[in-house]
Amino acid sequence: MNRFGIDDLGVGIGLRPVHFGPILSGSPEIDWFEVLSENYLDTGGRPLYMLDQVVERYPVALHGVSLSVGSTDPLDREYIRKLKALASRTRAGWVSDHLCWTGVLGRNTHDLLPLPYDEATLRHVISRVREVQDALERPLVLENASTYLAFASSTMTEWEFLARLAVEADCGLLLDVNNVYVSAFNHGYSAEEYIDAIPADRVVQYHLAGHTNKGTHIVDTHSGPALDAVWDLYARATARTGLVSTLFEWDADIPPLAEVVTEARRAHQHRRAAAATGTHGA
Amino acid sequence: MPRLSLALGGLQQWMQAVIAHPGGTHEALASSEAASLVAPERLGDVVLPSATLDPTERVGIYHDMYELRMGESLETDYPGLHHYLGPKRWKRLVSGYLQAHPSTSYTLNVFGLHLAEYVHTAPRVSHAGFCRDLARLEWAITEAFDAAETPILTETDLTAVPPGAWEAARLVPTAAFRLLALDYNASSYLDSMKDDEHDHPPPRRRPSWVAVCRRDYAVYRLELTRPAFRLLEGLAAGRPVGDAVEHCLRRSRPHPTGDQIFAWFREWAQSGVFQAVEV
Repeated sequence: MNRFGIDDLGVGIGLRPVHFGPILSGSPEIDWFEVLSENYLDTGGRPLYMLDQVVERYPVALHGVSLSVGSTDPLDREYIRKLKALASRTRAGWVSDHLCWTGVLGRNTHDLLPLPYDEATLRHVISRVREVQDALERPLVLENASTYLAFASSTMTEWEFLARLAVEADCGLLLDVNNVYVSAFNHGYSAEEYIDAIPADRVVQYHLAGHTNKGTHIVDTHSGPALDAVWDLYARATARTGLVSTLFEWDADIPPLAEVVTEARRAHQHRRAAAATGTHGA
Repeated sequence: MPRLSLALGGLQQWMQAVIAHPGGTHEALASSEAASLVAPERLGDVVLPSATLDPTERVGIYHDMYELRMGESLETDYPGLHHYLGPKRWKRLVSGYLQAHPSTSYTLNVFGLHLAEYVHTAPRVSHAGFCRDLARLEWAITEAFDAAETPILTETDLTAVPPGAWEAARLVPTAAFRLLALDYNASSYLDSMKDDEHDHPPPRRRPSWVAVCRRDYAVYRLELTRPAFRLLEGLAAGRPVGDAVEHCLRRSRPHPTGDQIFAWFREWAQSGVFQAVEV
């Protein structure tokens, strides 16, 4: 169990509008849904209506892309206020976003941009995470984003930064195993070392996904099934953390719901193995 | 040469300046905004190479994805305009729009807010008036889709109004209701997109009037005649029913008949134009 006492919801998938119909008419065998926060903050139309229906049937967690917790711009208080309201409306198990920044000088690139991993940045992000948690009145869960460049000014590895951030800001982690794989390829470090260094009691959720290998680098496209190597990393991680809510992301060329569910349910065999060995808690 | 040291804020300003600059990555790195923070020849002091990519190529991944991502977002809101312009002209429009109206919100929902006004004055856009009308119509549809849900006027609401009270009654439109007077055949163009086999009408200057409304979370477009538009415009502005009808009759030649006006009201009520009647 993570230190926040956040329940393991099982295996979920991302809630996508293209699947609204099959979800509500077919009650698919899925344990929970992850909801893209920004898609529901400013709509009173069909998306929100559908979300309300889903929430009646399944547990959900909120996952955002616009917190920009690493930016040097002030935090967007209006955004956080709406996020908190949506979390209450949906009875979200937790609220997550990314360790990144998305814009500065009042602009938003809507990309998950990388940070330099140094002491000053760590202090900056810790302070912002605490502010957000105070405003949300719940722990913030941060995901490791896929990155395509590294800054020369970094003085620590991404996993050292993430581990210290989680402990010192007292926040949760959404460990995206595919992103670990992608970034390890792009930067030439060990994905296994990364996984092994993450404080197990901070991991509240896992992400799994497919990606696109361009030869010179890998892009986190969330397209297609996950590679076996990513599943192996997931098995390694769950052996350390025990059973943690797991979500399969599929955002490009989204197939019929049944195909996404089938891919997501592959996580069950690894979860069973983790439960059977009981070696977690490292 | 001393090592280049940038605080986090400076580093972020530089990276954003590069990512958001139009054109290629080399051009972006050399732009005045970016180069004032990091001289292009000092890039290696800021970004490390990987085993397969040099620093310029690594920054280029973010740079290239920016316009692509923002363009996809606009395309979601403006499928008709995207279709009409075609990929090359659309790409040029997106690039210019990003410079004129970069996103300043946490949500992409409002990113396309200024596209109609932008396309009207953007360089090298032919049939700019048609493009503006198409964009106005598509934005109205987007707004209707996301508007707050409000009740729809029911048969019971209508029959509860005493006949003598109708003249002074006011009809309250739903939050999703939008009313447009267009100079071009933009609505016909959107109609033609329902079917790929359909011939798409060329831009033509032709006044048209459209109401956009939502019922049961589905968005509808209602083509209006000019008198019907005038009446609906008056009602939406809060005029009493009698006053709005009189105004419509006074300004319309030939006068709409009583049956016509009754049919309009019935269609509007059924389509979810109104949420309440205030007596």
